Amino acid sequence: MLSSVTINPEMEKKYHSKLNGDSVLVVGMLALLIGVELFVIGKIVGATWEIASNFYYLYVIFFGLIVVVETIGCLRVRDSIKKHMFEFTYYD
Amino acid sequence: MSENHESASLVKTLRPFHVWALGVGIVLVGEYMGWNFTVAKGGVLGSLLAMLVAGTMYVIISLCASELGSSTKLAGGPYDWARLFIGPGAAASVGLAVYMEYIALEAADAIVVAFIAQSIFPELQVFPITLLVIALLTFINYRGVVAALTLNFVLTMIAFIAIVVFFFATAFGTVDIHPEYLFQGALPNGMIGLFAALQFGPWFYLGIEGAAMCAEECKHPSRAVPLGQQAGMITLLIGAAMTLYLCAVLIPADMLGVSVYPLFEAAQNSGVFIFIAALGLGTFLTCVASANGCVCDSSRSWFALSRDHYVSSWFSAVHPRYNTPYRAVIFTMPVAIGFAFSGFLDQVITFSIVSGLLCYVLIPFALIRFRNLFPETTSKVRPFAGPLQPFIAYFAIAIAITILSTLFWGYKYNLIFGFVFYGIAYFYFSHKHKTSKAENNWAEMGWPEPKGSENARIGKEVMGVEFSDD
Repeated sequence: MLSSVTINPEMEKKYHSKLNGDSVLVVGMLALLIGVELFVIGKIVGATWEIASNFYYLYVIFFGLIVVVETIGCLRVRDSIKKHMFEFTYYD
Repeated sequence: MSENHESASLVKTLRPFHVWALGVGIVLVGEYMGWNFTVAKGGVLGSLLAMLVAGTMYVIISLCASELGSSTKLAGGPYDWARLFIGPGAAASVGLAVYMEYIALEAADAIVVAFIAQSIFPELQVFPITLLVIALLTFINYRGVVAALTLNFVLTMIAFIAIVVFFFATAFGTVDIHPEYLFQGALPNGMIGLFAALQFGPWFYLGIEGAAMCAEECKHPSRAVPLGQQAGMITLLIGAAMTLYLCAVLIPADMLGVSVYPLFEAAQNSGVFIFIAALGLGTFLTCVASANGCVCDSSRSWFALSRDHYVSSWFSAVHPRYNTPYRAVIFTMPVAIGFAFSGFLDQVITFSIVSGLLCYVLIPFALIRFRNLFPETTSKVRPFAGPLQPFIAYFAIAIAITILSTLFWGYKYNLIFGFVFYGIAYFYFSHKHKTSKAENNWAEMGWPEPKGSENARIGKEVMGVEFSDD
């Protein structure tokens, strides 16, 4: 349902504040994800380097894929919310 | 689309945190138990690789589910996506697969709750407690989706915080760890173990795609589904990495591979009472949350199948007061009880994984078809467009098929049974719906006709003219 809302400055301020809240939540979680994954992969691969050195690149590839795809995905989520927030009155 | 649209009566009040609670609530139990079979197959290194490979697949699946869920806004989730973009045979197979996946998981969760309760109070019996748990959760879901998912949010958040606090306490040296366990249990079965461990990798995330199944009951599905789903996926990735590390440095690998409650056991090995209590409580709560979410998702899948006459339309009734698909909710109870007391719970759980993997092939395929049929991105058709599509969808399909192939080690007959079961469903429902000539009514959804439909219509008309000329 497309709504025809009148955007006043107060509403705009409220919406951008809420959008920033969503953004901070996702950025915070992404930062925690990258930190924790780097710590865990580093600890495990480091402690088993004699064995893991033969195929460590597998961990690098899939860690990279997770971080890159999820980060771009989250940016797209933010863009989508920003684009449609007034149209669908997300924060009312 | 069916003409029978009781869906209009489903309440539309859910917010992003409810979507998060539904997705993470169902899955977090897999981080408290079950994932550690990766260690039995491939050691710590095999488990780490399984976590990352399965994680990559689920990140892509959750992006596909976010796009499809926020676009279609329907309760059936994967079933509705397959129905709209693939066909009736695939839709029925996926609908049944989702139903089986969640109802089997609910049965397993309820039994574990009963066993935990019995270990605390030995005078209790497992059978009546299992019945009580299933009945209680069915009642909560019968009364309303908001209450059910708010409860899930509280239970899941407590269980997740317990893992986070335990991890940081361990990482900052509050707990004595054994780094030598990492090397001792690194790769006990050689390189083949790395590959074999993949079959249990989905335990870390199994069911996260179900978060999008509450799209029809969201206040703003185009915001709630992508935001809740992605937040849920990140939560699970964080939880999986923390869980693997904690267990690997606190439990010897040979014991970790066969542990029933690995996180709780890791807390016990830490010797710190507060962590033992927190992780024990977390194990219990996450089982309840998972079973609760499974009732919600399995009932929605059955409701959607019923709404489109794949199963009896009697189940598609919506409660006039609570706005829940109450008959579909109540029907989960006898099926879950049947699964719980079949005596083949390990087989049931494996069937749940096979069902899930079938969905992970068909969900990205539905997205590829969706992109082909509706290439334009508009507010109405595709309010959220995931990145790098359809290339990553093909990659997810490849990973899902690879993981399915690893089930031949030890679960060959479950795999064959799964293929036969869903194959029969595919051909039966394809035939049934070919004769009923039911077609998707895109205009009813406010969508344009799909790409190529004009050519198909003209083709049919031409054929009709040719036949009439004869």
